[in-house]
Amino acid sequence: MGISETYTRGRDLVTSRPSVLIVAGIVALLALDLVRQIATPGGLSTTQLVGYLWDGLVVGLSIGLAGVGLSMTYSILNFANFGHGDYVTSGAFAGWAVTWVIAGAGQFDLTTLLFIGSVSTRDLGVSAFATPLAIVVGLLVAAAATIVLSLVIDRLVYRPMRDEGGISLLIASIGVALALRYTIYIVFGQRTRGLTDAQSVPDIAIAGGFGVGGHEVALVVIAAALMLSVHFLLQTTKLGKAMRAMADNEDLARVTGIPTERVVRFTWIIGGGLAGAGGFLIALERGAMNFQFGWVLLLLIFAAVILGGIGSIYGAMFGGITIGIAQSISLVWLPSEFSTVAAFAVMIFVLLFKPDGLFSGVTTA
Amino acid sequence: MRSEADRREASNRAGSGPTREASEDEQRESSTHPTAETPVVADGGTATAGATRSADAALPEESLLRVRDLDAGYGDLQILTDVDLDVGDGEYVTIVGPNGAGKSTVMKSVFGLTSYMGGTIEFAETPIHGLQPDEIIHEGIGYVPQNDNIFESLSVRENLEMGAYILDEVPEDQIEWVYDRFPILRERSDQRAGTMSGGQRQMLAMGRALMLDPDLLLLDEPSAGLAPDLVQEMFDRIDRINEEGTAVLMVEQNAKQALRRCDRGYVLVNGENAYVDEGDALLNDEQVRKDFLGG
Repeated sequence: MGISETYTRGRDLVTSRPSVLIVAGIVALLALDLVRQIATPGGLSTTQLVGYLWDGLVVGLSIGLAGVGLSMTYSILNFANFGHGDYVTSGAFAGWAVTWVIAGAGQFDLTTLLFIGSVSTRDLGVSAFATPLAIVVGLLVAAAATIVLSLVIDRLVYRPMRDEGGISLLIASIGVALALRYTIYIVFGQRTRGLTDAQSVPDIAIAGGFGVGGHEVALVVIAAALMLSVHFLLQTTKLGKAMRAMADNEDLARVTGIPTERVVRFTWIIGGGLAGAGGFLIALERGAMNFQFGWVLLLLIFAAVILGGIGSIYGAMFGGITIGIAQSISLVWLPSEFSTVAAFAVMIFVLLFKPDGLFSGVTTA
Repeated sequence: MRSEADRREASNRAGSGPTREASEDEQRESSTHPTAETPVVADGGTATAGATRSADAALPEESLLRVRDLDAGYGDLQILTDVDLDVGDGEYVTIVGPNGAGKSTVMKSVFGLTSYMGGTIEFAETPIHGLQPDEIIHEGIGYVPQNDNIFESLSVRENLEMGAYILDEVPEDQIEWVYDRFPILRERSDQRAGTMSGGQRQMLAMGRALMLDPDLLLLDEPSAGLAPDLVQEMFDRIDRINEEGTAVLMVEQNAKQALRRCDRGYVLVNGENAYVDEGDALLNDEQVRKDFLGG
């Protein structure tokens, strides 16, 4: 490429899209400042930075896990499901109720346990290390309960509206979200409850005084495994290929003899299962939850999914991690109150460059 | 777009349209002076029904696909009126006609993609009208839509696998069979289908529809959007598939080419049968040439 051509291209870029230049400038400045802060004695330590990245990864994977389901239902059913955040909450409550019952049976009142009531988490002593069986069963129940829930809701609400436009379905899903959230509110109450016994969770020490929480490791490992499974399901199984085919071209899928309603059901099974499992794991990592944590998370889930390109599950995974890391790395410069703002700023900046998201056009593939 | 008067005239001519029995001279005679010999019939349907009946001699002895008095459309909008159509075992049949005549609608109706409003469609003596596409595919009919006829984000091979979705196992021998007929697909086996050229896409779409080894292949404008040299190649491939025993029902914009190659042709006007005859006979018919083939 000639110099003049480069010059012309550069000039075109400056005149046509000045925002791109401004963003590039900001990114360069931040990168330089990061190097300066690390180089300054008494400034940001490498351990701190790695800590931020790790936190970002943990948050990002949990957002991504929930986002995969949202993106899948979007690409196959053609609507943005605002109920997805409350699917996450529902799964978490179902799973944790079972985990508590298993961990505390015989010691505590069964009804109190079932409603995740007032029990000292210290006395109950639930953690992935102290009570692994209760955690594993809880995780499975969380996934299973959310699968059943999403299938029932699909049958009752979405299926009769299947041929309506995306907006009608979207509004219906807001109704579903409210119904779920306040059902949980009525059954379990409003308070934020502790779930795990932080004392029984060992920190796993890694080099340089940097350690990671046991539950964080559990979340990262399980989330990564689940995402890999989804990848193999979509790429290698007949059903997964049919899902991609239907996301790609629903009319042709029908003409080809793909049973579209069955594919829709499996989409809910996978999307719902991931939402429930994700909710359980997020609560495990945080050690606490309330009736609206999924709803609060939904905004970030949407940000991740849109950043990655809505409809693409790899976009959801990648978008989740990007949002998570943006949120935590912003702590280098900003007070923690602004971390969500930073995450959304990153999303907006990415959309300036790629308006359809990073993985746009790679629908579910 | 032809005017209403033109259409009515065409329908009327259809009453004395070409048949296999009629001698060439008689055909010329009747179609050169249509209005003189045929009184204007107010109800176009009567005239077209007559056309189809008088062409019985051109019909196959046993029909694989038998359409009678078909009324169909989209939603409440009726497009087809009393359409009759037959495709014999292993026969190659083309539907031609002006834009908006309902050519594609006939094909979609056979495959259960329109609103069925009356009449009968039988395939291998089984009634299939009112069935859904995923049921019809089990009967042995393959359909290649005109547009968006491949899964762009899937690989070439995955597209073929989807074509055989209703089977329990991926039929490797059938994939090989398709690859042998369209060698480019074997070369591009792992490529994303969306990255292929128009001609290759069309081959893939046909390959996908052939994965269940259908008795009847429905092709909706297979030459649309192809470069002229590719059009020839595409028609050659369709010939070969037909010669191997698969009956073909094709809608074509490229009417001359299609009529030259097919066993029998239907001219559809305004959602009704206008002419039916052997492809060559239609091609040589002055009136058909003048009205539909551009002279």
